[in-house]
Amino acid sequence: MTDSTAPRPPTGDHQVPLELQVNGRTARLSADIRTTLLDALRDGLGLTGSKKGCDRGQCGACTVHVDGRRVLSCLTLAVGAQGKQVTTIEGVAEGDRLSPVQQAFLDHDGFQCGFCTPGQIMSAICAIRDGDTGSDAAVREAMSGNICRCGAYEGILRAVRSAAERTARQEGTG
Amino acid sequence: MRPFDYAAPRTVEEALAQHADGAAYLAGGTSLVDLMKLDVARPHRVVDVNSLPLHGVTTDERGLHLSALERLGDLARHPAVADGHPVLRQALLASASPQLRNMATIGGNLLQRTRCGYFRDTAAACNKREPGSGCAARTGDNRGHAVLGAGPSCVATHPSDPAVALSALDALLELHGADGVREVPLNSFYRLPGETPQTETVLRPGELITRVTVPPLPGADRSVYVKVRDRRSYEFALVSAAVAVDLHDGEVRGVRIALGGVAPRPWRAHAAEQALTGREFTRANALEAAAAAADGAEPLSGNAFKIELVRRTVGHALTRLGGR
Amino acid sequence: MAKPLIGTATARVDGTAKVTGRADYAADRTEPGLAHGHLVLSTAGRGTLRSMDVTAAEAAEGVLAVYSPFNPLKLHRIKTTPDVCFVGQFWLPLQDQEIRHYGQIIGLVVAETFEQARHAASLIRAEYDLLPVRADFAGRIAHAVPPPVAINHEDPQVDLLAEEFGTVDEALAAGPVQVRATYTQPPEAPLALEPHACLASWSEGVLTLRVGSQSPVGGALAAAETLGIGLDQVRVLSPYVGGAFGGKLYIWPHPLLTAAAARELGRPVRTVLTQEQVFTTVGHRSAVSQTLALGAERDGTLVAVKHDAVSSLSLSGVIYETAAHTTSRYTYKSPSLHVGQRIVPLDSPPTTWVRAPGEAPGAFALESAMDELATELALDPVELRMRNYATVFPGRGVRWSGKHLDECYRVGAERFGWQPRTAPRPQPAEDSDQVWLTGTGMAGATYPGNLLPTTLANVRLRADGTATVATATSDPGTGMRTVLAMVCADDLGIPVERVEALVGDSALPLNYGAFASMGTSSSAGAVRSATTALKQRLLDLAAGDARSPFHGLAAEALAYRDGRVVGGGHSLTFAELLAATGLSELDSPGASAPGAERLRFAVHSFGAHFCELRVNRWTGEVRLDRWTSVIDGGTIINPRTARAQIVGGILFGIGQALLEGIRVEPDTGRFANGNLADYLVPVHADMPDFDIHFLDHPDTDFTPLGARGIGELGVVGTAAAIANAVHDATGRRVRDLPITVDKLL
Repeated sequence: MTDSTAPRPPTGDHQVPLELQVNGRTARLSADIRTTLLDALRDGLGLTGSKKGCDRGQCGACTVHVDGRRVLSCLTLAVGAQGKQVTTIEGVAEGDRLSPVQQAFLDHDGFQCGFCTPGQIMSAICAIRDGDTGSDAAVREAMSGNICRCGAYEGILRAVRSAAERTARQEGTG
Repeated sequence: MRPFDYAAPRTVEEALAQHADGAAYLAGGTSLVDLMKLDVARPHRVVDVNSLPLHGVTTDERGLHLSALERLGDLARHPAVADGHPVLRQALLASASPQLRNMATIGGNLLQRTRCGYFRDTAAACNKREPGSGCAARTGDNRGHAVLGAGPSCVATHPSDPAVALSALDALLELHGADGVREVPLNSFYRLPGETPQTETVLRPGELITRVTVPPLPGADRSVYVKVRDRRSYEFALVSAAVAVDLHDGEVRGVRIALGGVAPRPWRAHAAEQALTGREFTRANALEAAAAAADGAEPLSGNAFKIELVRRTVGHALTRLGGR
Repeated sequence: MAKPLIGTATARVDGTAKVTGRADYAADRTEPGLAHGHLVLSTAGRGTLRSMDVTAAEAAEGVLAVYSPFNPLKLHRIKTTPDVCFVGQFWLPLQDQEIRHYGQIIGLVVAETFEQARHAASLIRAEYDLLPVRADFAGRIAHAVPPPVAINHEDPQVDLLAEEFGTVDEALAAGPVQVRATYTQPPEAPLALEPHACLASWSEGVLTLRVGSQSPVGGALAAAETLGIGLDQVRVLSPYVGGAFGGKLYIWPHPLLTAAAARELGRPVRTVLTQEQVFTTVGHRSAVSQTLALGAERDGTLVAVKHDAVSSLSLSGVIYETAAHTTSRYTYKSPSLHVGQRIVPLDSPPTTWVRAPGEAPGAFALESAMDELATELALDPVELRMRNYATVFPGRGVRWSGKHLDECYRVGAERFGWQPRTAPRPQPAEDSDQVWLTGTGMAGATYPGNLLPTTLANVRLRADGTATVATATSDPGTGMRTVLAMVCADDLGIPVERVEALVGDSALPLNYGAFASMGTSSSAGAVRSATTALKQRLLDLAAGDARSPFHGLAAEALAYRDGRVVGGGHSLTFAELLAATGLSELDSPGASAPGAERLRFAVHSFGAHFCELRVNRWTGEVRLDRWTSVIDGGTIINPRTARAQIVGGILFGIGQALLEGIRVEPDTGRFANGNLADYLVPVHADMPDFDIHFLDHPDTDFTPLGARGIGELGVVGTAAAIANAVHDATGRRVRDLPITVDKLL
């Protein structure tokens, strides 16, 4: 893809072939070079669980994992995500069995309208993994990059705390 | 967003060769991709530097070295950062959100563009975006704008938190350009707007930040970052203060006070530093120094409160460090 | 009998869809041949669009069409009014060259891809002939005028005066203690996290419009009227709605343009707004300025209340905040009472309904003023409220169908650990090391209980033992689906898992939707009516069908209990009965409508808020620590979703109190902070710890179910409780929202 000639205003067809590793599978698609990872997932691959709330890095609804880290797919160019492992909300359950964090969000009413929920869950999974969920105050800060306008933070807090405690117990006994 | 050519070089030399007029380096993308969507940034070519070998944190006698592609989140967790540089760790953790900190690189963060709403709106007059078009912020909505170091051409602020901490820590930037490598103190890296607000740093065309070095500094371990904002998290600073005090037998041997959210660059409050240096670290002396922290400030129509807030923020920071 | 579901915390029936990402919102579907629309907005606030250069846009890659006032998409004029036809504003874009506000729609670009459409839109240049913009609310308060129509069937100026006074000012003057102050707040955005989006596709003259809406039926009405088609030629689908808060009650113009473009291009078109575009193309809450004067005896008894509100009203819209009529009009007992409303017409994007319209600003002013009076009297603010407790709706002589606000105060104070106070809290010495100042505050909350006009529902039983309840409302996160399924399951005596609730489709039985906290009371009532009729149908079937084991018994001799038809020694589930009689399903419609209760009673939900916060002495930062609310909302059908509604409402109020406000440039009308980074809404870290308690007083004088609305109640009074706590902590009374750090230095 590198081009050693001097840059010029690009013209013509901006479609490029992309190869993305999403939820453990290789996906090939043709997309505009400008396409963000979020749009590639949603429009290119039909994975619409990741949401476009602001498209500017201001809300967190598009949170996905890239190489195991939570990032904003709206500010990630799809072309740059090639060769990395992308995980979306569609990839966290095992078949019909919800992941512990998904289940905790159900159990603790961690959502209302549901629009920010995939981003919240993807964020929570990493926050727990990173050990940033040891207290209510820690969760509040660790989850502050995911805005919920419905104000479901209370349920989210309980869900994250409970999933974190369960994870800690499993690791402790396991 | 305008179409662009894309290159993903694997070496610094290759990256420099790929760069040319109208090209932009892409690291974390949190600033550039955003501005491209707004049609504010219009690179013909995007040179994605994420594959460059600019990773790692090391320490030696020259200090703490942060490679430019280290992510803010990783740096905040790194023991070498946490040990002895609380101000930097706190500034890193006060930045943006966890997701953005996982994306943004330290090199890119130092080059983050202003959050001025007129800069971000192509319909507005903005000398920084479109030289000669004017500055809508001077008479417009300027609650968040600069009270220090600004000028008739531009009143935008620099939005980075880590840059403020690094300013207080007298950090050095390693720059790679076509002419080779050079090192520039962060405190000489940023330019004030003057007549050319579009030129924000001393970077030469195509030059890359490749490393940030925090030199050994007495007092770096007695440091704090205080960030004041309306919302408790996930917001840029209204005012922030990075303060490090070198204390010896109750006397301030040296103090570094850098301010964020109030100037076009991380702003060193030299008058306040001088007021405290060589004096006993008492509450009264700390407050006297804090009172000088905004010396030279000039308010706009909507941000006079920042002057008082600067003094209070510095006072808060100094008392947190033991000035009582 | 099985434990009734009503009153039992029940998990949302659509939860799994939401936590797996399978819930499909308006922008989540695609269609073969989908084209992408992108709006072009004006960068002038008033005048005439002189010209638009679309040459580069039209030539750009992938562009299918560039629509503008110079190449318009035909929309039919709104013949009714914007609120009746659910468009939300008087005029429709592209039909003329007039610029009515900054950020109005002046174009729609349609292209093959989203990137191409956005890029082409950025290439368009517009020229304007400008007129002076009337956007400065504060500067134009002097030009306020009476509103054009009645407010809650009353005049914009209401005076209920004790006999001896000719004016409310005379009455005020007779009180030995008086407080008087002006309270202001900037415009606020509903700002659902899901930006407005739509997908329009036509098939054989019938439009299917996917759009996130609180009112699919309203959306269909708007589409039919403006696109010149019959109501039977449009179907609006809103299966999932990513938050609404009033901003998605009306459909707004962009789906209408998108549908017109899809019709003209012969392709499905999807338009997703950016949040920046949402700020100016859909409505926001009025700016409000209120002057409150209270006159009282020294014992705290009110002798007069005077509440004058001024609200901005967009010249494009019809909705504005009626702050005094919705609060001071009835909240306290006072021998003399005046509420007044004026409006300031502005060249602004449409003003519209936003969560707790009227009550949110009104209660901020009234409940702050009561706190000021309590301070002035050195009387505990809870006690002051009790001394002026209203048991009869002032001027109407009717009592409330159910009012237990006194219990809310009492129980709330107890749960919170409220310390009655009669003197200002002492402040630390100037040189104290203390960083945080602690304060507590309280306020009351009221919100009217209303019912939608005729609301229909259908309940269908199937031979497999499942049931479906259907009504054309929507569930923008309120828990509506769950509540409907619960009522249906309870009535039919079956587990909620066997009930499917269908909402979000204008083709379902008529229902104007989820707004004004009326959705649950109205829709649940229609469901109960349907299940009641359906149970009778089952009994008639059991008695009348020759294949039924009950055949030969009188229907009156049978009963439906716990999910079974019983009588004559037989007992069959409805599934068994349907199977026995060879039916695959059986259904019945139901309906609810407001009745005579409106004349016999005043109906309101009530609540009391108590909060504790800290203010940083150095920086003025406010940190909310804990919050207690006690709610009197009648029957709480689902305590789980009800709690979420209250907590969410309080967080909305926390935004109002501490963060939110559109900053309008007075000379241009431009929204300076119209995006999610600069218009601040609460994040997780802004949340206090909550203690939410519901009183258990079913309001059967209102509806048979006894449930009143609570979706907006949480907002009401929240800003005042916070402002009152800030005053307690700092001694500073902030009367201008939001309470940002600069106001506490």
